[in-house]
Amino acid sequence: MQEFIIRRTIYTLFTIFAVATILFFIFRIMPGDPTAQVISPALDEASQARLKEAFGLDKPLYIQYALYLKGLVTLEWGRSFTTSKPVFDILKYRFWNTVFLMGAAMSFTLILGTALGMIMAWKRGGPLDVSATVSALVLQSAPPFVTGILFLMVLSYKLDLFPTGGMNTPGERLPTGIAMLFNKDFLHHLVLPAITTAFYYLATPMLIMRDSMLEVTGSDYIELAQAKGLSPATVMIKHAARNALLPVFTVSSVLIGFALGGQVIVEQVFSWPGMGQLMVEAASSHDYPVAQATFLLLAVLIVVLNLLADISYCYLDPRISVPGGKK
Amino acid sequence: MKFSIIKDFLVAQYKIIRGNRFGMFGAVILLFFGTIALLAPYIAPHELWESLRDSGGKLAILRQPSLEFPLGTTAMGRDILSQLILATRTTVLIGLTSGLVSILIGANIGLLAGYYGGKLDEVFMRFTDIIYGMPFLPFLIVLISLFGRNIWFVIIAICCIIWRTSARVIRAQVMSIRQRQYIQAAKARGCSNFRIIYGHIMPNILPLLLLYTAFNIAWSVLAEAGASFLGFSDPNNITWGGMLYNLWISGKIRTAWWWFATPSICIILLVSALVFISRAYEEVANPRLKQR
Repeated sequence: MQEFIIRRTIYTLFTIFAVATILFFIFRIMPGDPTAQVISPALDEASQARLKEAFGLDKPLYIQYALYLKGLVTLEWGRSFTTSKPVFDILKYRFWNTVFLMGAAMSFTLILGTALGMIMAWKRGGPLDVSATVSALVLQSAPPFVTGILFLMVLSYKLDLFPTGGMNTPGERLPTGIAMLFNKDFLHHLVLPAITTAFYYLATPMLIMRDSMLEVTGSDYIELAQAKGLSPATVMIKHAARNALLPVFTVSSVLIGFALGGQVIVEQVFSWPGMGQLMVEAASSHDYPVAQATFLLLAVLIVVLNLLADISYCYLDPRISVPGGKK
Repeated sequence: MKFSIIKDFLVAQYKIIRGNRFGMFGAVILLFFGTIALLAPYIAPHELWESLRDSGGKLAILRQPSLEFPLGTTAMGRDILSQLILATRTTVLIGLTSGLVSILIGANIGLLAGYYGGKLDEVFMRFTDIIYGMPFLPFLIVLISLFGRNIWFVIIAICCIIWRTSARVIRAQVMSIRQRQYIQAAKARGCSNFRIIYGHIMPNILPLLLLYTAFNIAWSVLAEAGASFLGFSDPNNITWGGMLYNLWISGKIRTAWWWFATPSICIILLVSALVFISRAYEEVANPRLKQR
């Protein structure tokens, strides 16, 4: 088991390193003069040369690469082209906003999805089963900005139940740190973007849970539980669902990876100040240090979450015989 | 390939789709959009960027659906119905191209990695894991931001990422098939590896391949819609997502429900049609689903 964890962790680090390298090369092979993005051609020669040196743009490629890697590790991620603020400071703030939104949305999806999947499998073929399948598939076919805008139109503009965007009411300051999570204003703003994201990804855990439950209910131990005279609810929840949850776990790590990528849209629709919105801003204004760092941070987050999910899956399923571990 | 093989293949696909209510619905929708995409320039009543005037001579800005403008007009006075029809062509083109190219990449990587195993498998899977680590939409955005807003960069960016899911799944399936007896028999007979992979294994994973083809096209359409909505699309070739982007930046999102509804419904219809078709194939690939 230990060996497996160590191997997976090294492998994860390798993946992160590879993504960083790919990113480095993508940003260097783009057409046009990269220096023109940093240094206004209107400046005189001497200033241009000085700025070039300051940003390290005049050194050969492999030295730039080494500096780049060193900068990543030491958390010196450069300065924004547009605001000249250190990229790390910008990201430090935005990172947590995205994480909170993701956390809320994903918890909602996984809990509601597995619960629905369980009930659907139990009442298989009934009206709930069919209608839930169809609506989940349709929800999955609607891009998140469609559902988001729909929610905005109905719940915000027409009924005025929820704010139309942002993380807080303009003018009101939120408490920093953990206290922010319990602030009423924050939660009020969190609801719509969280539900929008959650509904988009709802179909996956729901259908997987349903299929998994159907497979599990054919097993011997379920028959035994029913023969023992346990109530259907007990059989379903205590015995079937616990074992049917495993495939949901496997898929949840991939799901979170996809969701992190899709955050961009929801954050833009609801003006949620997170990494996704930062990504769009930076890419539109060609603010390359910010875009690069945000992308890399998202990638690292995805890869690390996958790693955690893989490791926890090992602990959860004793049937897996890990090479080198105990059976 | 002989004609009879192609004919049998097409008849088999027709039967699969026919036997499934979802599949039928999906196929009808696909046919509908395909026809519109083909005939687009001939059936669109107005030009794409033409600012129209109504019968009274006034500039027809933000009109609600009426007899004159069946789906209403935009903030610049352009006919939404025409935009919708012409955008169908671009959207379908992007979806089909990206989807088909990505399934080609994914299927081949999956087949080769699954069949040969060993070092080749490890290399391919490491590469797939790296691609899995990249967030999809941000990658699209970065690529468009670096290389320019062009329809081909969108297609290339989508193709770079979308093949990853099908590669993994197909590889798993191939690994289980490769142990089967008829494959061992073919090897003993001296069949070349190429022939075994593409002549024996591939036909047996065909439902899975078609399932993921439909999924890939669906995901391509969604990805393109997302990227267009954020503004990272070709300004010269309008797509449904692009129409919604124009709506968003015009600021008329509060009032112009007709401008919002039509491209959204089209996207939802097209993607769910593809998802329904893939669900039909899923029942073939995994027969236990049908009995449930």
